[in-house]
Amino acid sequence: MKAKKKSKAKVKAKAKKPAAASTSSYWAAVSSTKKTTKQRIDALSRLPAALCEDRTKFNEVLAILRDTTQSSSLRRATLQIIQSASFSAPNFEVCRPDYLATLRALVTDPDLELRQRALGMLAREHDGSTQRLLVDGLEEPSRAVVPPEKALQLLGYDIHTDVYAIARKIAANPPNEAARIEALRLLGADTASVPMFEAMLQDKKEKVDARRLAASALQALVPDKLQGYARDIVQDETDDDDVKATSLTALTDLGHAGTVSDALYQSVDKIRSKSKSTALKQSARRFIDKYRR
Amino acid sequence: MNVELFINNSALPRTRYIGWAPSPCSIHLSNLTGVTGPVTVELRNKPPAKGGRFVFRRTLTGPSTTTLRLVLPAKGAAVNFFMLGQFPHASFADRDAVVQVRSGAHVLLEVPLMVRIRKNANLLGTAEVSRFVAAFATFNNQGLGRFVDFRNMHVAASSPEAHGAPGFLPWHRAYLLDLERELQAIDPSVALPYWRFDQPAPKIFSLGFLGVSNSLGTVQFSATNPLQFWRTDGVTGITRRPLFNTTTSGASVITEAQTFALGTQYAPFSAMEGNPHGNAHTSFGGSISSIPTAARDPLFFLLHANVDRLWAKWQRLNSRYNAGQLASFGPTGTNRIGHNVNDTMWPWNQITAPPRPSTAPGGSLANSAVATAPGSKPRVGDLIDYQGVVAPAGRVGFDYDDVRFA
Repeated sequence: MKAKKKSKAKVKAKAKKPAAASTSSYWAAVSSTKKTTKQRIDALSRLPAALCEDRTKFNEVLAILRDTTQSSSLRRATLQIIQSASFSAPNFEVCRPDYLATLRALVTDPDLELRQRALGMLAREHDGSTQRLLVDGLEEPSRAVVPPEKALQLLGYDIHTDVYAIARKIAANPPNEAARIEALRLLGADTASVPMFEAMLQDKKEKVDARRLAASALQALVPDKLQGYARDIVQDETDDDDVKATSLTALTDLGHAGTVSDALYQSVDKIRSKSKSTALKQSARRFIDKYRR
Repeated sequence: MNVELFINNSALPRTRYIGWAPSPCSIHLSNLTGVTGPVTVELRNKPPAKGGRFVFRRTLTGPSTTTLRLVLPAKGAAVNFFMLGQFPHASFADRDAVVQVRSGAHVLLEVPLMVRIRKNANLLGTAEVSRFVAAFATFNNQGLGRFVDFRNMHVAASSPEAHGAPGFLPWHRAYLLDLERELQAIDPSVALPYWRFDQPAPKIFSLGFLGVSNSLGTVQFSATNPLQFWRTDGVTGITRRPLFNTTTSGASVITEAQTFALGTQYAPFSAMEGNPHGNAHTSFGGSISSIPTAARDPLFFLLHANVDRLWAKWQRLNSRYNAGQLASFGPTGTNRIGHNVNDTMWPWNQITAPPRPSTAPGGSLANSAVATAPGSKPRVGDLIDYQGVVAPAGRVGFDYDDVRFA
């Protein structure tokens, strides 16, 4: 009986071993220069829960991320896996300072994708040095580490009043259209930009995307005024269909029945039956369904 | 002679929403003029049943039938029974299912209701998408609405309440339930859909639904989509850059089958917090890829609805509804606060003394017209028996389109 119990115990112990052996072999594969990139990425993907349990091994993984001689795909996969672990590893907080320090080292990395992703992660953590770097790059383009539109987008994770000043400058004198749009998005809570957005919305020569952004900003900043503009735009037969559709959406979803005159209702009903634009007809239908008389 | 029908213990229209789990109902005679004795009635789905379908049970554990014959006492006493959605026939619109009560050939009463179910977002109809985005946009109200509280519940300071410990799944289940109930206060026909992240989802990532990302990662919406007015933290719009082709592939996650294979006990199964959950988040650049900002993107809630659906499906596969069993939750009593079966959960417990976060946005968990559980200050364990399998009073009032009642 004792011999049977002993051999059962041995079988159990043997059954436990493979799991521990696998984790060790995955760690070894991650660091091994003899494995292919694919094998190393696969080994990494099997580690997320264990990633932060061993600080020494975690720092080895961070070293891969910092090592510009490693392949881009391995470094990017490493970044994603560490980021994934940050969502769940019970003791990730212990590893977080080293993780953030590594991200800061990547903000001037030669790999643009890694740079942008590291900057994004730091910006979302409200990292002060990252914000200063992004603002600096906007003020002096020769020092920029990412394109201006990307810098503006990342600054949107932590809006400060000093960001408004730069965004206003870029909105007025943009290096490119993408940067202008991102600057306008940032200014969506800037009360000083209301006159600019009002002029933009009413300018039929302005780009449609900018006018729609203006509508969105005004709906947040001066909602009653935007509702008034929207009513005028909808009843203007010469205005752009997409701007009209955005206006109708604002009236339907963010307006109220008390402001819907008979003239407006009839105007929208006419759009619903006669417009050649599918989007405009759809938004008119929603309006009529909500304010049906 | 009339009859009155109570669904979810009420005759009010706002309670006429059922799922796959049995809803308590009753019926009684009212206006007893001309009533000389007991009256036999038959309840059924009014044909043609084009939308949701339902069945009846005379008792909670009895067989389900498509019609139910009841004898109603002459003096008006109520007769109890149960109604439940007939799996998998969920409604497409509010009140598209009708209970018809007949006495012989005479129709005494017709009551419209909805079999309201959380569905795969990529398979929703146009009207369903429209109602959902409209309700969500109204809830956000250009950054001024109650959604601010939900955004502020999921930040770096509160992360220990919700991540990295056994309460991860129950906390997020409560979070989604609270949000869904708020959406239902705006439009009761809305149920939170899920993003099946291991499959392509081109309809979700479209201009009319959760938007299409440009090369920068700024999400674009059609001119008819009210989400174009979405604002969080004072900034218009959503930043989301897929690192995979949303039209042709799923996110970089393990499959559903691989998720269930993590283990039949809760402890190993909860490793899904890393993959597929963490991997789904980090299959993007942008807000959804970091804990402090993830809830700024409405996609977050559909992502977590799928995480929750995976847990619900795993529960059914393994009969894991009893919070007192190790297999259903794992060791308890020595975990971090907020992660033991009997712990109340922040922010709904409104506790702001250490080690809890210093603020508790949002107040108590929203009430529901269709269920009393899990209460305004739920405990971790209250979210495990979500269908009321172990205790009928534990039913919280949601179901998934591919997870039938246990």
